[in-house]
Amino acid sequence: MAAYPRENSGDLAAFERIMSQCERRVLRVALRLLNNPQDAQDAAQEVFLRLYKHFGDLDETRGYEPWLYRVTVNVCRDIARGRRRSIGLAEAPDPVSPQPDAYHDAERAQQREIVRLGLSCLGEKERAALVLRDVEGLSTREVAGILGSSENTVRSQICSARLKLRDFTGRLLRRRS
Amino acid sequence: MSCSKFETDIALYAGGDLPAGRIARIEWHLAECADCRTLVEELRSGQGLLGELRDDPIADALVAQVRQRVLAEVRHTTLTWGAGWRPRGALAPLLALAAALILAVVLWWPRHEAKQARIAQVEPEHATPIAPAPRPKLVPAKHRVVRHHHAPAAQPGPPLLVQFVTDNPNIVVYWLVDQKPQGD
Repeated sequence: MAAYPRENSGDLAAFERIMSQCERRVLRVALRLLNNPQDAQDAAQEVFLRLYKHFGDLDETRGYEPWLYRVTVNVCRDIARGRRRSIGLAEAPDPVSPQPDAYHDAERAQQREIVRLGLSCLGEKERAALVLRDVEGLSTREVAGILGSSENTVRSQICSARLKLRDFTGRLLRRRS
Repeated sequence: MSCSKFETDIALYAGGDLPAGRIARIEWHLAECADCRTLVEELRSGQGLLGELRDDPIADALVAQVRQRVLAEVRHTTLTWGAGWRPRGALAPLLALAAALILAVVLWWPRHEAKQARIAQVEPEHATPIAPAPRPKLVPAKHRVVRHHHAPAAQPGPPLLVQFVTDNPNIVVYWLVDQKPQGD
């Protein structure tokens, strides 16, 4: 049964504090998984509403991060399935104009753009495993716990994803040059 | 590529995910294969770029919009539920149980009342006096006393077993009687 935090109590303040600590991380993962800012916002909103709904049930001594990662991946999966925004490798557009970036090195920024694009072309499970492992820097065991898979399955997914991404970036960089 | 059988392990090796037992085999192969060393470099470069995505700036406006939407929804939910007390934690199941009991009583009571009323209507018309069953007659004639053994003096004797036989051969009454200590 969901336990809602009470208004005018420490619960709501605690919820807002956790949200302010984790909102960028949740948005970043959602952006990498969905590759669309509006969808990522919708996903983050849904994640935090679920956090609010189950706030009293969660064991804060274990930390909220694994739960938030798991719910983010699930919500993004639902949104992606609902909107069918994923694009195939063959349909991927050329990254001719990298978006303005905080990095001044234009070439590096373009490479990152290619990697972003490559991520969006991966399959749903491979993308989730690679984002959690190589972008978020979680261990294989943590990724397995979040995705509800075995460590061997996660290793297989990240290995396949890394090789596909390397082929994708190599192909686009060769086309550019 | 002749080294394709190593690709999978190399992709894991590049990210530090290869189990310890398989590392030596890959390193031995990398020592003599320039193509696979290039593959490791490319994979590590890709991982470096992926790691940089973690530092991607997220627009403050994007974050603020999400926060605003969530808090608006939260306040709406709280107001819909009422701003006051709400069951939580271990108290919630107890309250649910109490509510279920109250509901059960509320549903059961009218049916029970109706049943009682039906019985009250039927009883005066059809009630016939029921004669009490004849009590079995006790016959003390076959009064058998079984003494198990003689107890020593000043010791409580063994219990006496008294058997009453009634008219009804199916009914026999056994009675165990404690004896007072002998030798008083």
